[in-house]
Amino acid sequence: MFDQRIVQAYRQAPWRVQLQWIGALLLVLVVGMLIAGVYLYLSAEATAAGTQIRELELEREDLQIRIADLSTQLAFLRSAAFMQDRAEALGYKTAHQGDIVYIPVPGYSGRQVVFLAPPPGNESADASIIKPAYKESLWEWLYQGTFDLIESRGIKP
Amino acid sequence: MSNSNGRMRLIGAIFIIAGLAIIFQIVRVQNSPQAKELISFLEKTYNQEVRILKPERGNIYDRWGNLLAGNTEVYEIGIAPPQVINSDTIAQDLSAILGLDYSQVKKIARSYVEEGNEKYMVVADFVSADIVHQLEKKLAEYEIAEKPKKGATPSLNGVHWVAHLRRSYPENSLAANILGFYNYYDRVDGRGILGLEEQYNNLLAGTDTQVVLPMNPTAIQEIPSVPPGSSLILTIDRGIQAAMERIAQKALEDSGAEAATILVMDPETGEMLAVATTPAFNPNEYQKYGDVFPLGSHYNRAISQLYEPGSVFKVLTMAAALDSGTVTPTTPFVDTGAIEVGGLWIYNWDRGAWGPQDMTGCLQHSLNVCLAWIATEMGPTTFYTYIQNFGMGKYTGIDLAGEQVYPLSLPGDQNWYPVNLGTNSFGQGVAATPIQMITATAAIANDGKMMAPHVVKAYIQDGHQYDISPRLVRQVISAETAHTLSEMLANSLENEASIALVEGYRVSGKTGTAEIPGPRGYESSVTNASFVGWGPTDDPKFIVYIWLEKPTSSPWGSVVAAPVFSEVVSELTVLMKLPPDSVRQQMAQQ
Repeated sequence: MFDQRIVQAYRQAPWRVQLQWIGALLLVLVVGMLIAGVYLYLSAEATAAGTQIRELELEREDLQIRIADLSTQLAFLRSAAFMQDRAEALGYKTAHQGDIVYIPVPGYSGRQVVFLAPPPGNESADASIIKPAYKESLWEWLYQGTFDLIESRGIKP
Repeated sequence: MSNSNGRMRLIGAIFIIAGLAIIFQIVRVQNSPQAKELISFLEKTYNQEVRILKPERGNIYDRWGNLLAGNTEVYEIGIAPPQVINSDTIAQDLSAILGLDYSQVKKIARSYVEEGNEKYMVVADFVSADIVHQLEKKLAEYEIAEKPKKGATPSLNGVHWVAHLRRSYPENSLAANILGFYNYYDRVDGRGILGLEEQYNNLLAGTDTQVVLPMNPTAIQEIPSVPPGSSLILTIDRGIQAAMERIAQKALEDSGAEAATILVMDPETGEMLAVATTPAFNPNEYQKYGDVFPLGSHYNRAISQLYEPGSVFKVLTMAAALDSGTVTPTTPFVDTGAIEVGGLWIYNWDRGAWGPQDMTGCLQHSLNVCLAWIATEMGPTTFYTYIQNFGMGKYTGIDLAGEQVYPLSLPGDQNWYPVNLGTNSFGQGVAATPIQMITATAAIANDGKMMAPHVVKAYIQDGHQYDISPRLVRQVISAETAHTLSEMLANSLENEASIALVEGYRVSGKTGTAEIPGPRGYESSVTNASFVGWGPTDDPKFIVYIWLEKPTSSPWGSVVAAPVFSEVVSELTVLMKLPPDSVRQQMAQQ
């Protein structure tokens, strides 16, 4: 009886009801702020990553252009006319029939035609470089995470 | 008091209703079809960028991997008028560094201030990296410069430079007649013109890819890696090509000819090792095409210029006669200096009578009368069947754009007369290109098998190298006939101690001198001098075709073309590392 009175008094205490309301409001506010904070943080991270990816893609394009240019510049420096002039400047002379001594080399079948194809690369090279995590929103991430969790535990949603 | 409360409630209700109406209107407007259309338009216009990614044009290499056609870095320079801070600096620097008109640049730089122009304007393109480095240097200077007390801060703000690739030919004019060129100044519709650039344009160009890229950095879109166009590996040997071009130029100067053509082929595979023609042309400066090749002239004479080959054609006639059993090397022929074919008389090149000859003698002295007699003995059906099998009147199918062919007149055709059988036998009244002639004659150097001529040995696509196999066109004559004729031609050169001979190497060959048909018949004063030859005779590794157009030092092929052959073979044996016959045979015995 005494216990019931205490519980009733506690339940009916006006300050308790107010405290509950304040607590609930504060909880909602804190959760909201937490979500907003996480959202802002992730958005900022995603933006920074996106900008960085764009910069890297531009850098990749520039590097491809640079590589092609350097290969061509190298070819200019190794062109027949240029090499001829350089060889002459270094004191080399053109070989004639009488200058050459032929030595048989067993098993040597002569100079082979060039093979220029690049070596086989990583098979996953064709796969997308950007992971899905960089493209999905927070809600998509939460939804997908929850879905994966439920699925891994064998619960039907 | 109650009235006051009522009014307050009424005002409150009005405000609430007005507020709700505003909210309703906002929601309605935002969800209207027009709003959706506007959002979609703005997204497309400002929130995303549509880019067409052009793949890097494929490279072209010689058979040893030397780059013949590649790409080099150049820049487009433009001004974004709304971003301009100091139009004076821009006008001053761009006019000084790029050589642009000061007032014109300034007008563009000020166009946003004066006309509200927001459009990005290209002021220069295909600017070299060196020039752009000067602009970058200026930019760095302005960044660290102190702000002047008077006037605007010097700034290149608003000037942009964007790198892109331009087709480039590191060997300049070397093999230009094979490569063709790419009209790189047309950045939208640029394409390969002539030669390999045209023939393999689609393969070299690759496939354009269109991508839609969001401008919003949070909406990341991966730019796909666009594979470059396919690269070509040629059968051409840069060293041999350079040597042949040098010899062709020298032959041109020595003989006073209008043009010179030298072809080198591997008769076993049909691979072209060199295709040298004059005049020289630098595809890096393709805009000068009209100056180098006036209207009516051919870019690659080896495949496009038809001519009456003259006595080099006798090799084909003799091959047909030997293979059909009409004659043997020892068949006797008494040359009286003239023969009547189809009611017209045919004479020798010197109008002389050479008396008793065998078939080797007929070739050695290049007797028109003998060859005309052989053709009549064979009969038109046999003769023309062989000539057609040798590919006369047909495209060789060489993988270069611009090949020409002249139809072969056959019995029954309106433009064929019985005398044609006689004249065709020694290469008159029949037109062919040097590529047709070398392809046909190569069959004799390759056991009677005619191989399709080609200049592409392999191509690289999507990281894989695909080899192109040699293609047999047909077995034109038997291997035995081919060996017999090779011996006859080697003997004929040795018997006359030809200046085509090369010490240490046995070669087979035939000279050719053809009068040029004009409006008033054949003109004996101007000729086409040719030589076809191959070696080593017992195991041919090369076949060479030389053609000098209208030589002035001497009209005879034996005088002007034969020494060129000797020079070519001397170079080839070194470049192809072919030991002299005695050394080779000694090595084979070991």
